[in-house]
Amino acid sequence: MANKPQIPTSNSALIAMIADEDTITGFLLAGVGNVDLRRKTNYLIVDSKTTVKAIEDAFKEFTTKEDIAIVLISQYVANMIRFLVDSYNKPIPAILEIPSKEHPYDPTHDSVLSRVKYLFSSESVASERR
Amino acid sequence: MRNKTKNQNKKEKEKKNEKEISDECTKEEDGKVLQFLDSMDSYLTLMDSLSSTLRQGWIELASARYSMGASRVTSALYDLKLHPAVTTLQVRQLDGESPRQDPMVEEPHFTLSRWLYSSEDYCYSRETGSDEADPKNKNSSSLLRHRGTSQYPDDKEFRRKASPVSPRSPLTGDDQVQKERSKSLSVFGKLVSPKLREAQVSFETALETLIKIANVRSLMLSAHAQVQQDLHGTFDLCYNSRKIGKDGSCKHY
Repeated sequence: MANKPQIPTSNSALIAMIADEDTITGFLLAGVGNVDLRRKTNYLIVDSKTTVKAIEDAFKEFTTKEDIAIVLISQYVANMIRFLVDSYNKPIPAILEIPSKEHPYDPTHDSVLSRVKYLFSSESVASERR
Repeated sequence: MRNKTKNQNKKEKEKKNEKEISDECTKEEDGKVLQFLDSMDSYLTLMDSLSSTLRQGWIELASARYSMGASRVTSALYDLKLHPAVTTLQVRQLDGESPRQDPMVEEPHFTLSRWLYSSEDYCYSRETGSDEADPKNKNSSSLLRHRGTSQYPDDKEFRRKASPVSPRSPLTGDDQVQKERSKSLSVFGKLVSPKLREAQVSFETALETLIKIANVRSLMLSAHAQVQQDLHGTFDLCYNSRKIGKDGSCKHY
């Protein structure tokens, strides 16, 4: 407990978003949008022309910024960079996979549930040790 | 004969104590498993709720687009001028009992600060914890904070609360919130469809649900780590005392 790494506490952390236009527009209406001095936004709109590289770069950027506490990512977008999302292991920012208009939420693909489903699999700890 | 009875009684007492300790441990482990399952259930239920709230928001957005025109309801209208977020988060660390090995289970706790208004005189925010159910509740607690008069020295300064200054024209909390809401809507024009206002409320509700999901997620990962630690501990105990069954399960004798 004494040597537990500390979570960076913050009073005004941002919510970043990587999603389709309607989802982004809706959350911008709710006041989540941020544009900084360098004209960089805390969101990336994903459409048919957005490349996987652009999504990866945005994900890496949002997960390394200190002032971002939560990253919302549409699940179908997360599936495009699944390896990156599943290998992410920091507590902050928290990655939340959300549904989109055309792709409903699928718990089998959720990275958080994938981490904990091990407890429910038929492969027990004992078999792992064999 | 007397000594034999004494020894037997002693052994029985020791066995009883061991059984009591073992029962306590089992109860504790069961409690952790229950906590993990409860948090997982909450996570899935909240995800369901989020899906229906978002669906409602998308429908309302589509209705607004239909009545106002597609070119008037698009995120392209948000220009790239300096524009700080008016809805932010507060992050705190909870003192959990999670093990140190897994960095994902540090149990951060998120609180939403909605419609953070900044002006030369006043900074108003409405804080929503994970327990607040109704976003339309106008009687919820509000905080008034004062800010300095500096004009955007940098991003973090702009969002941080500064020293108090005397107010020029105090407005009530709800007026401030309505002002910020209108400001957010004004990006789409002076006259907006009522459906757009409804969409705004739906997405605000979705935001609150997302904060609850984030907090439940922390709890779930922490509980999972504790259960896993207990499982490994039980396995090691059985393995060392060679009490493993053919199917890999721990046999209790």
